[in-house]
Amino acid sequence: MDKFRMFFQHFQSSSESVMNGICLLLAVVTVKLYSSFDFNCPCLAHYNALYGLGLLLAPPLTLFLCGLLANRQSVVMVEEWRRPAGHRRKDPGIIRYMCSSVLQRALAAPLVWILLALLDGKCFVCAFSNSVDPEKFLDFANMTPSQVQLFLAKVPCKEDELVRNSPARKAVSRYLRCLSQAIGWSVTLLLIIAAFLARCLRPCFDQTVFLQRRYWSNYVDLEQKLFDETCCEHARDFAHRCVLHFFASMQSELQARGLRWDNAGKSPEPPAVPEPPEVLDSGSGKAHLRAISSREQVDRLLSTWYSSKPPLDLAASPGLCGGGLSHRAPTFALGTRLSQHTDV
Amino acid sequence: TMDKFRMIFQFLQSNQESFMNGICGIMALASAQMYSAFDFNCPCLPGYNAAYSAGILLAPPLVLFLLGLVMNNNVSMLAEEWKRPPGRRAKDPAVLRYMFCSMAQRALIAPVVWVAVTLLDGKCFLCAFCTAVPVTALGNGSLAPGLPAPELARLLARVPCPEIYDGDWLLAREVAVRYLRCISQALGWSFVLLTTLLAFVVRSVRPCFTQAAFLKSKYWSHYIDIERKLFDETCTEHAKAFAKVCIQQFFEAMNHDLELGHTHGTLATAPASAAAPIPPDGAEEEREKLRGITDQGTMNRLLTSWHKCKPPLQLGREEPPLMGNGWAGGGPRPPRKEVATYFSKV
Repeated sequence: MDKFRMFFQHFQSSSESVMNGICLLLAVVTVKLYSSFDFNCPCLAHYNALYGLGLLLAPPLTLFLCGLLANRQSVVMVEEWRRPAGHRRKDPGIIRYMCSSVLQRALAAPLVWILLALLDGKCFVCAFSNSVDPEKFLDFANMTPSQVQLFLAKVPCKEDELVRNSPARKAVSRYLRCLSQAIGWSVTLLLIIAAFLARCLRPCFDQTVFLQRRYWSNYVDLEQKLFDETCCEHARDFAHRCVLHFFASMQSELQARGLRWDNAGKSPEPPAVPEPPEVLDSGSGKAHLRAISSREQVDRLLSTWYSSKPPLDLAASPGLCGGGLSHRAPTFALGTRLSQHTDV
Repeated sequence: TMDKFRMIFQFLQSNQESFMNGICGIMALASAQMYSAFDFNCPCLPGYNAAYSAGILLAPPLVLFLLGLVMNNNVSMLAEEWKRPPGRRAKDPAVLRYMFCSMAQRALIAPVVWVAVTLLDGKCFLCAFCTAVPVTALGNGSLAPGLPAPELARLLARVPCPEIYDGDWLLAREVAVRYLRCISQALGWSFVLLTTLLAFVVRSVRPCFTQAAFLKSKYWSHYIDIERKLFDETCTEHAKAFAKVCIQQFFEAMNHDLELGHTHGTLATAPASAAAPIPPDGAEEEREKLRGITDQGTMNRLLTSWHKCKPPLQLGREEPPLMGNGWAGGGPRPPRKEVATYFSKV
């Protein structure tokens, strides 16, 4: 269990590793999906190509869209792209970086499917059996063209009575499979070489800009997550205090009635329960709510978060981020000027 | 093993979103598993094939959708929020719409998986459309016109059942099966592609439009959920304290009666004699938990008022007003927790 937990914690440590984890999961799901799918070539003249190519292209498209859907960062990217500038400039380079990283990860599962399909060969055989040149094979010499076409259409179906145990069928099938596997391996090799070159040569270009963009795209993702968590915390505290207020108001209503009814002048309930406001305003409770305690305030906070994000500068001018922050800057001034440090 | 389960549940519940996604995933897997465990049994009779297949294709998804809604705790929360009288708290239709949409989206996943798996497998489609196969194109077309239509239908209806099929002279069974399965799989993949595309468009295009309103609706729907849970917890706490105090008073009264030598055991209402016995040590704490609500009538009134007249979303006038406390101009960001500790260090 500990290993399990550590595994999850490692993957959740940074948004990049979360995305890598999801990408890996989707690739494994793709392999399972391909192996459990029951390929069923129709072995009819015009349907073969449609079915074969359709099966080679439609599932990868679906998997690509799934990859985009499963990746939280695609939503974060669109939000960052469409938000009003507010106090915080928008950097198109960061959006481009996020877009490219999302696309790269979303492409992994479709590529796995396509490579599996090519290396397996069934799709290719089904799609292109009718396009084979009959002159390459001697067995077709004494068949009419329409018979040849009919025969070729049935090549992918081993058990069909027309082509069962026919050496011509095996020849065509072997030929197409060999072609399919050759294409599959070539594509794999090309992709790996391209990835390798991209990885090795990237430091030769613009490494500092790359580092900055990676940092800020990670930051945007984490900030959004933290905002959501803070809102959740706030909602919990708000609800807690609201419920306690409600009970307390009922109690004070009772006490008010008790004072009116009770002639002896003594309230029936000994004042063991203190006045509601003091009970509720314990230090940590108030700090949690951060002085936001009504619907209008919360709505205004959420609108402002969207329409005008705060600047990336923790040592900002006073009045924006609350009273005490201005003369306290233990961290760097996190503007786009990474090199500037501010002493406390 | 109980520890492991507890940890898994804690992990899933750490984030409300991941919990709901977990439930979705489980229902999708359950749906696929149900399909593979189901023993499809085509009747192979002309009129019944289509009805059976349509039933298998449409009834389980409906059941799964309703099950998905039922298993979602938020349904009762939505209904409650919808039907409550406004009281001192206005109702926001945007929040209700958000809650409904998010529940419906999650409940739709299992039915979509069922339909997709059914189409990709092909047995259902084969059963439904075997009588509509183009015999002239696929089989011995010259023999087909000679057959009367009911006879042809009877023959073709047996295609899904290999052991009773007797039409090989007209149309090879494998050819028909391959043809129909190919179409079924094409339909299945198209269906999956369309649903994914729709989900993707909805998810990606939403931030372009109503992002601010979306943030609000998300916050308030989460708030309503938490408030309901906390109210239930507070009521449970109260009920426990009530019960404890009630029982203590009963024992005290019994004790008091015995001491006074009353034989007819009128363990009557304690208030008059409450002052006399000294309450044991834990009683004060329990009384505090009662928050002053100590009888059935008041509790009933409290519960009725919670439903009929929810308190406003405004915590106490004694809080500092909106514009004070450094929030000039609707300050954009609340100070974080870490900042709060900086305050205390000064």
